[in-house]
Amino acid sequence: MTAIDTPPASMPAGALAAHTDGAIKVYGSGDTEVHALRHVSVGFGKGQFTAIMGPSGSGKSTLMQCMAGLDRLSGGEAYIGDTPLSSLNDKALTLLRREKIGFIFQAFNLIPTLTARENITLPLDLAGAKGDQAWIDEVIATTGLADRATHRPNELSGGQQQRVAVARALASRPEIIFGDEPTGNLDSRTGAEILDFMRRAVRELGQTIVMVTHDPVSASYSDRVLFLADGQIVDEMADPTPDSVFDKMKSLGD
Amino acid sequence: MQKLILRGIAANKGRLALTVISIVFGVAFVSGSFVLADSLRTVFDKLSQDIVAQSDASVRGVEPEFQTGESETRFDESVLDLVKNVDGVGLFEGGIGAFEQVYTTDADGEVVRPTGPPVLTFSWAGESPLSPFEIIEGAAPTGEEIAIDTAQAERGGFAVGDEVEVATATGGELESFTVSGLIEFPTPGAYFILFDLPTAQRVLGAEGKLDSIVLSAGPGVDKEAMISNVQAVLPEGVEVVGSEVVVNETQAEFGEFIDIFGYILLGFALVTLFVSIFIIYNTFAILVSQRTRQLGLLRCLGASGPQIRFMVLIEAFVIGIIASLIGLFAGFGVAAGLKFLLALGGGEFPDGPLELQPRTIFWVFVVGIVVTMVSALIPAVRASRIAPLEALRDGAEVERSMRFRLIAGAVVLVPGLILLILGFTGSGGSTTTVLTFLGFGSVLTFVGVSMLSALFAGAAASFIGQPAEALRNVVGRVARDNASRNPKRTAATSTSLMIGLALITGVTVLASSIKATFNDLLGDAISADLFIYEENQGLRFSGVLADDLQDLPEVAQAAGYLEMQVRVGEDIVNATSFDTAAGSTIVNLEILEGTIEVGPDGIAVSDDTVESSSLDLSLGDSIAVEFEDGFVADLTIEGIFESSSLIEGDWVLDRGLTREHTNEDSIDFVGLTYTEGFSNEEARAAVENVTGAFPQLSVQDNTEFQDSIAGQINSFLLLINGLLALCLVVAFFGIVNTMALSVLERTREIGLLRAVGMTRRQLRSSIRWEAVIVSIFGTLLGIGMGVVLAYAGIAAIPEDFITSTAIPWFSLAIYLAAGALLGVAAAALPARRAANMNVLEAIATA
Repeated sequence: MTAIDTPPASMPAGALAAHTDGAIKVYGSGDTEVHALRHVSVGFGKGQFTAIMGPSGSGKSTLMQCMAGLDRLSGGEAYIGDTPLSSLNDKALTLLRREKIGFIFQAFNLIPTLTARENITLPLDLAGAKGDQAWIDEVIATTGLADRATHRPNELSGGQQQRVAVARALASRPEIIFGDEPTGNLDSRTGAEILDFMRRAVRELGQTIVMVTHDPVSASYSDRVLFLADGQIVDEMADPTPDSVFDKMKSLGD
Repeated sequence: MQKLILRGIAANKGRLALTVISIVFGVAFVSGSFVLADSLRTVFDKLSQDIVAQSDASVRGVEPEFQTGESETRFDESVLDLVKNVDGVGLFEGGIGAFEQVYTTDADGEVVRPTGPPVLTFSWAGESPLSPFEIIEGAAPTGEEIAIDTAQAERGGFAVGDEVEVATATGGELESFTVSGLIEFPTPGAYFILFDLPTAQRVLGAEGKLDSIVLSAGPGVDKEAMISNVQAVLPEGVEVVGSEVVVNETQAEFGEFIDIFGYILLGFALVTLFVSIFIIYNTFAILVSQRTRQLGLLRCLGASGPQIRFMVLIEAFVIGIIASLIGLFAGFGVAAGLKFLLALGGGEFPDGPLELQPRTIFWVFVVGIVVTMVSALIPAVRASRIAPLEALRDGAEVERSMRFRLIAGAVVLVPGLILLILGFTGSGGSTTTVLTFLGFGSVLTFVGVSMLSALFAGAAASFIGQPAEALRNVVGRVARDNASRNPKRTAATSTSLMIGLALITGVTVLASSIKATFNDLLGDAISADLFIYEENQGLRFSGVLADDLQDLPEVAQAAGYLEMQVRVGEDIVNATSFDTAAGSTIVNLEILEGTIEVGPDGIAVSDDTVESSSLDLSLGDSIAVEFEDGFVADLTIEGIFESSSLIEGDWVLDRGLTREHTNEDSIDFVGLTYTEGFSNEEARAAVENVTGAFPQLSVQDNTEFQDSIAGQINSFLLLINGLLALCLVVAFFGIVNTMALSVLERTREIGLLRAVGMTRRQLRSSIRWEAVIVSIFGTLLGIGMGVVLAYAGIAAIPEDFITSTAIPWFSLAIYLAAGALLGVAAAALPARRAANMNVLEAIATA
C-alpha cells in the first residue's frame, strides 16, 4: 500500500465528509470473479472538489457507487461523515441518501412528470421537509433556472437539465455530492458551464463534491484528482491542469 | 422469423402470463357453460328415460292449445275399463299425479321440501315394470298410507310406521297418514309422496279422474299393433302414444330449459370475454410501444411491415392457444363451481359427471384464439407502421392526434347509442332482434366511450389524484402524474373496470327502481291487509282457500287472483281472473269506462288492448271467449281499465266463471281486507288458522310483503352481479398487467427516485395510489354510465313496467370503495416488484 491510500495526515478524521477503509468489491465468484476494488482506503475532505479518474474497468464508478450508498462493499467499510454504511439497512441507507448525499448522474437525472423546481426539491419533499426556501431560491437563481422553474424536463435543453440536477444536489445542503460523469452527455461549452458552477459551489458555498470522469479537462476543475487502476488508487494530484492530468492518464495507460 | 417470434414470447413470459390469465377467465366461463349444460342434459335425458320405466305406451288426455295449470289434462277413469279389454294389452296401470300440491310436514309443522327441485305426488300400486319407483323399506301404500323417498324421510325425520301430517291440495285440516314404505327413484333430486290411486285422487281433489294409463304389450304382441288397437277404443280428447314419444317430449321440455340456462351463462361468458378484449389490446399496445426501437431495428435490417404485423399476430395466436387450453380445463372448475353456487342459491341439480363434448373444445378454441387475435389486431397494424428511423429515436411514441380519437370514438359511439335506444324501445319486435340491438348497441357504446375517455382520462386522473397529493405530498404527486401522463393507457386500463361496473350499476339501479315502483304500487293501488301466496317459486294453490277465508267473520273481502290464458277471437291472450266484486276493492285498477265488477257474464279489457286489437272493441259489445276446456262463453264487455303492471292480464274475468273451466281450481294469490271492529292481531290469527291447511303458503301484511319482494329482487340482483363480478376479476388482472408493464417501462425513473431518497415504502405507496387513481377513474365512469344507461332504459321501455326511479346511493358508494380497493390489491405485485428493483441496475437501464 502506498501512502496515498490513507487519508492525508494533515486532515483530521472529523474534517472528512466521507472516507473508505480497506474497501473491497468483488463481482461474481469462482472463475468469473472480478475484483473491482482491492483494499481502497481514501478520504474526501470537507469543502473539497475531488475528481476520480482511471481507465475503463479501473473501479472508479464502483468506488463512487459504494461510497454513495447505492451499492454495498464486499469488504472493508465506507463512511459518510462518521456513519459506517455497512451498518445501515436499506431504509436507513435511503434516508441517508436523501439527507446527506446529492447525486448528479450522466443522463436521465430528472423525473419527466415533475417541473424543474419540483425536481430540485424532490429529496426534500420525499423527506417531508420544508427545506430552506431562501437557499433553494438562491440555488435556482445561481443556476440560472429562475425563468425555467416551472418547465418540465422535456422543455429544457440538455445543459439546463443538468443544471437542474446540480441544483437538486445542492438544494438539501448534503454532506457530499457525487457526480457520475455529470458532463459526459454535454457539448464542451455547456459542460464547462456546469463544471464551473460545481467549482463555485465548492469555493463559495463550501460544498464537498466527488466526481467520476474520464475527461482530463473536466478533472482540471477539481482541487484533487485520484487515479485508479485495477481497483487500486495508484496516484493522486493536487491542483490539476488538463495537460498534467492528460500526461498522467497516458502514463497509466501504458 | 420463427426464431424471433418464439424468442419474443419467451422474453416476455411474465407479461404474457398475465395476458393469458385475463383471457383464461372468459374462455373458462364459455367452456364451463357448455360443460354444465351438456352434463345437465345427460342427467335429464336419463331421468326422462327412467320415468317411463319399461312401459311401451301411455294413454293421456290430448293437450289443449293453452292451459293454466301445470298438471296433465285429466280424463275420466272409465277409460281404464275400455283399455284393459283391448287385444294385446299386457300390463296396465292408471295413475294420477301433481306438481307441488301435496306436502308432508315435520314435527314443527314446517313443510318438508328440497331446495330447488319440486315435490311430486303420484298414485302408486307398488313395484312393477311400469313404474320407475323402487321400494327400499316397507311396502306400497294403501288407504291412509303414504310412501316417500328416502331423502324426504331423512329431512323430515320420518321412518316407516310413523304418523305424518300431510297438507293436501284441497285444503282443510292436515291429514294423518302412516308411512308404509320408503322408495327410491333412479335419479334423485325431487321429493315424492305416493298414495294408492283412490287416495291420490281424493287428496288432489280429482276424484274419478286419471292423468295417464301406462301400458305394456302382452307377450308376443307387436307394440304398434297394441297402440292402434287402444287408440280405436279411446273417446275424444284422449290419446295413446308410444313411450319413446313421452321420452322425447320430456327431454325436449327439459332441453328447452337447459338451453335457456346455458345461453344465459354463455351470455355472461361473452360479457367477460368482451372485457378481456380490452386488456389483451392494452397489453399488446404497451408491448409494441415498448419494443418500438427493437421493431424499428428489425425494419432497418430489412423486415417488411407485413412481416412485423405477422410477428405480433402470431404471438397473439400462440397466447390464444395457450389460454384456450387452460380455459378449456378450467371450465370444469367453473362448471363445478356454478353447480355449487346454484345449490347454495336453492337450485340444486341432480348429480352427474361433468361432460366434455367435442363441440365445447371446438368453440373454446375458436373463441379463445379469435378474441386474442382480434384484440391484437390494432397493435399489430400499429407495429407494422413503425418506421425504420424510429430505431434511432429515443423511445418517443408516435401519438396519433386526439382529434382522430374524437372522430373515431364518435363514429363508434353514436350508432351504439342509436342501437341501444332501438333496443330499449323494443323496435324490431322479436326478442332476438331486441337482444341483438341491445347487445351490439352496448358493445359499440362501451368501445366508443372507451375511445373517447382517452380524451379526458389525463385531466380526470389528475383531478382524482388531488387527494393523493394532498395526503402524501410528493409521493402522491408522482402517483397522480403517472396516472395522468399516458391518457390512452389509463383509458384502456380502466375500460374493463368501467364495463363491469356499468353493468353492475345498471342492474342495481334497475332493481332498486323496480323495488321503488313496487312499493309505490303497494302504497297506492293495493289496499289489502294481508297477502297469501307461495313465496319460494310462485306456485299456484287451491282456490278453495279464498272461499274459506271469505267465510271468516274477521275478513271483509277475500279475493283469489289467477293469471290465465283464454282465446279471444283468433288470439290466445293473458287474462286475470278474480272475484270481481271483492277483488276490485283490493287491487284498485283505474277504470276508464263502465265497471270492473263484470260478474260471470261479463269481461273487462285494458285500454292498450282496445287500441291495439284487430277487433273493434267497445263497451256493451258481446264477445266470444274460449277456455282451455273448449267451452265458449259469449261475454259482454262491461268495462275498460287502464293497463297496469298490477296484473299481467289484458283482460279481466270473473273467477265464478273461470274456475268451472280450468283443469284445476287454482289461484296465484289471495288478497284480503279485515272486517272493521276486529283488531289486526285477532283477524290475522283467524286467517292463519285457515291457511294452516296450506303450510307451503306465506301470509304477509303490507310491510312483510314489501320486504319479501325486496328480498327476492335482492337475491336475484346478487346472482346477476355475482356473475358480472367475473368481469371485475378480469379487470383486476388487467390493472395488474398494465401496472406491471408501466413499472417496467419506468425502471430508470424508479431507480432515480430511489437514488435521491425515495424509500421502498414510499415507492410502493406511490404505485398503489397510481393504481387507485386509475381504478377510481374506471369505477366512476362505469357507475356514471350504469346510471345513465339504466335511466335511459327505464325511460325508453314503453310499458309502464317501471314508473319510479331510484338511485341506490349506498350501493354505489360501496362499489366506488370496492373499485378503489381493487386498485390497491392490483398494485400489490407491481409495487413489490418495483420496490425490490436494484437501484444501480435500474438507473443503468437503457
